[in-house]
Amino acid sequence: MSSGGTGAYAERLSDIEDIAVLKSVREREQRRLLGSMPHRPAAETAEALNGLHDALIARSIALAEKQMARMGRGAPPVPYAYLLFGSGGRREMTFTSDQDSGIVYADVPSESGNRANAEYFGELSRIVVQLLVQLGYPPCEGNVIASHPPWRRSLSSWEERVDGWFAEPNWENVRYLLIAADGRVVAGDPALLGKLTDRYYFDVLDTPVIARRMLENTLRHKVLVGVFGQLLREPYGENAGGLDIKYGAYIPMVNVFRLMAVRAGIRETGTLARIRALKAAGELTPNEADAAVESFNLILKLRLLAAARIEEGRWVGSGKIAKEQLTSDLVLPLKRALKFGKFMQRKLERAIRDRYRSR
Amino acid sequence: MVKKSLIALGALMLLFPTMAFAEDPSAATLDMGLSALWIMVAGILVLLMQGGFILLETGSTRMKNAGHVAGKTIFTLGLCSLIYWAVGYGFAFGGDASESLNKFIGVGNFFFDPPISAGDGDGYPSTIFFVFQLAFAAVSLSIAWGGFAERAKLSSYLIYTILFTSVIYPIVAHWIWGGGWLAEDGSQDYAGSTVVHLTGAMGAFAATILLKPRIGKYNKDGSANPISGHNQVFSALSVLLLWVGWFGFNAGSALAVGDGFFGYVAFNTQLGAAGGAVAALLISWLVTGKADIPTMLNGALAGLVAITASCAYVEPWAAVLIGLIAGVLVFLSARFFEKIRVDDPISALSVHGAAGVWGTLANGFFATEELAGKVGVGKAGLFYGGGGEQLWVQFESVVVCGAFAFAASYVLLWIMKKLVGFRVTEEQEIIGLDLSEHGSYGYPEHLKKTGASI
Repeated sequence: MSSGGTGAYAERLSDIEDIAVLKSVREREQRRLLGSMPHRPAAETAEALNGLHDALIARSIALAEKQMARMGRGAPPVPYAYLLFGSGGRREMTFTSDQDSGIVYADVPSESGNRANAEYFGELSRIVVQLLVQLGYPPCEGNVIASHPPWRRSLSSWEERVDGWFAEPNWENVRYLLIAADGRVVAGDPALLGKLTDRYYFDVLDTPVIARRMLENTLRHKVLVGVFGQLLREPYGENAGGLDIKYGAYIPMVNVFRLMAVRAGIRETGTLARIRALKAAGELTPNEADAAVESFNLILKLRLLAAARIEEGRWVGSGKIAKEQLTSDLVLPLKRALKFGKFMQRKLERAIRDRYRSR
Repeated sequence: MVKKSLIALGALMLLFPTMAFAEDPSAATLDMGLSALWIMVAGILVLLMQGGFILLETGSTRMKNAGHVAGKTIFTLGLCSLIYWAVGYGFAFGGDASESLNKFIGVGNFFFDPPISAGDGDGYPSTIFFVFQLAFAAVSLSIAWGGFAERAKLSSYLIYTILFTSVIYPIVAHWIWGGGWLAEDGSQDYAGSTVVHLTGAMGAFAATILLKPRIGKYNKDGSANPISGHNQVFSALSVLLLWVGWFGFNAGSALAVGDGFFGYVAFNTQLGAAGGAVAALLISWLVTGKADIPTMLNGALAGLVAITASCAYVEPWAAVLIGLIAGVLVFLSARFFEKIRVDDPISALSVHGAAGVWGTLANGFFATEELAGKVGVGKAGLFYGGGGEQLWVQFESVVVCGAFAFAASYVLLWIMKKLVGFRVTEEQEIIGLDLSEHGSYGYPEHLKKTGASI
């Protein structure tokens, strides 16, 4: 969990008041970034694209605060942080990502004060989510979103919730823990999240049942490469011959390095940043780290390509890369990347099994 | 008193031994009776395979067609029986044709009126042989229905049953089993990989080409969509029914109890089927990353189809290998047909066609001298010192029979298509054949509401 900068875009958006104008900026910039993709590394495009997303989201939050003030609700009553989870938290959003978000706000001593704050942030999150929908960010299908009360809490309430996840580490709660590991502050007070994560990392380390459950969750998605080293392509449908790059390559990779990072107490949320930190901490050999960066960059590139079709003026995203996009020069490196992913999955599995075998 | 009677009886028996055993049948009659009993049981087992086809075809297709798919099998079984009795049997096994005509087709025994019991020196009564052969013809016909599934008009089932049972199947059966020209060449097809399975599969092939793919099977860009069957449990049960029935199919084809050779045939049959099931599951798992149940089921059937020709000619290890290869083949073949846009709803082409070809050719590799001698047909295969000769004969019978069955089916179905039509309308296909052809659903509770809204 870390706070992320909004980059150069924040400045440029700072005096835009109209959501339609923001939307046109998004449209124009995304087309420009898409156009420049063939000429530069995928990580650069992803970095710029996520700078754009961060700035747009932060600006929307600022506009929502203003709208609240105009409605007579005043300024935010206590410090708060607007959190991004999922690809947003990792700064790996594509051209068509949805919203995975949450809010944490500071506690006040009085019961009535807390109730009033809950009301304020409930209304604020509703407006933010709506503005972002207008900007073309669909709400999260799994309801991991700031406008959904479980993901919008005061710090103490968050602490209780996270403690509850640890106390009852069933499959779903462990999934929440892993979602939380990608949490990042996109606007507001970074210190609030920092307090929460101190507790989190203290608890995760060395709890065997959590580690095992996290492993199961982490390895749930299989890397789509077969025993003969062949790509396990889509057999049917409009993507026949293509590859489910999201769930068959990207997510497994993200999952592996997330769990490795969590176990090593590394709080970076971006996958590439995690890989660098794992290398520095000696958890990955230099060779492994190089292969990891190379593999992840390629997968990131394919994921961006898969999620970047414009149909009838609308951005259409898909987790599946089309057969035509998987050109022959990409297939070999992709196979290599996927085999590396499989190798890392096995390595992580072995490490965790060995660690807790005697207990 | 008792003592005296016993002594008298004993003396009589010594004096007139034949009188004491006057009612006992001769060894030849006993042998005939045992064989008759076994062939009858085998014939019943093969008839029961229709239950397998009903469940296989229904399970592999959609709910809206279930009543039609299941019911038409019983109807065509009835029609097939009448036609085979009237003409089919005569063309296959009739002995009245001149020597030159007999190479191509048999004549005689039309509207078969058999003697009521076996004649002197017969291995079995001709009634039982008829029942057994009829069951085979019906199996071949049911295989062909795979290519018709979910879109053919009911009338086409009626017409094709008549054509297939009277002409197409009997001619191929005659060539290989009825003393025709391929029998003279020594073509080894013990229980019908070619005669029954390839012939039926070619009918399915012709039909599926003429009918074209089902609505929704292929996208505009040519990519395929899965049209999953509605009940995998039916499909699995169907395979077990067919598997058990196959013991009648193969081991019954010994047409005798004799020295128990039919047991060896049954033994090889089991090995072939087992190999097919195992290989198909593993290959689908290895290649696609998922162990596909329908593929595994098709693998078991492909193993059975393949071993059908070779069960009496090969050693156990070869039976296993033939089954394993059939299991892999059926997986590859199904993918191939899907890719070339041939919509084969229940994989009849792959299970009965590809595996039928392989099983027949396998004799050309694996037949042993001893077993070929035992059956009395053909020679040893390539790997047993027979050279390429048997392989050539096997190849020839596959190509000739396959081409004939395909061409005959294609031409006849094409004519039927032009005269009376072959495929239901788009609307009928979408509503489902249960409603369009029969007026009621096989699963009324499940489908009434959706049916009404269409």
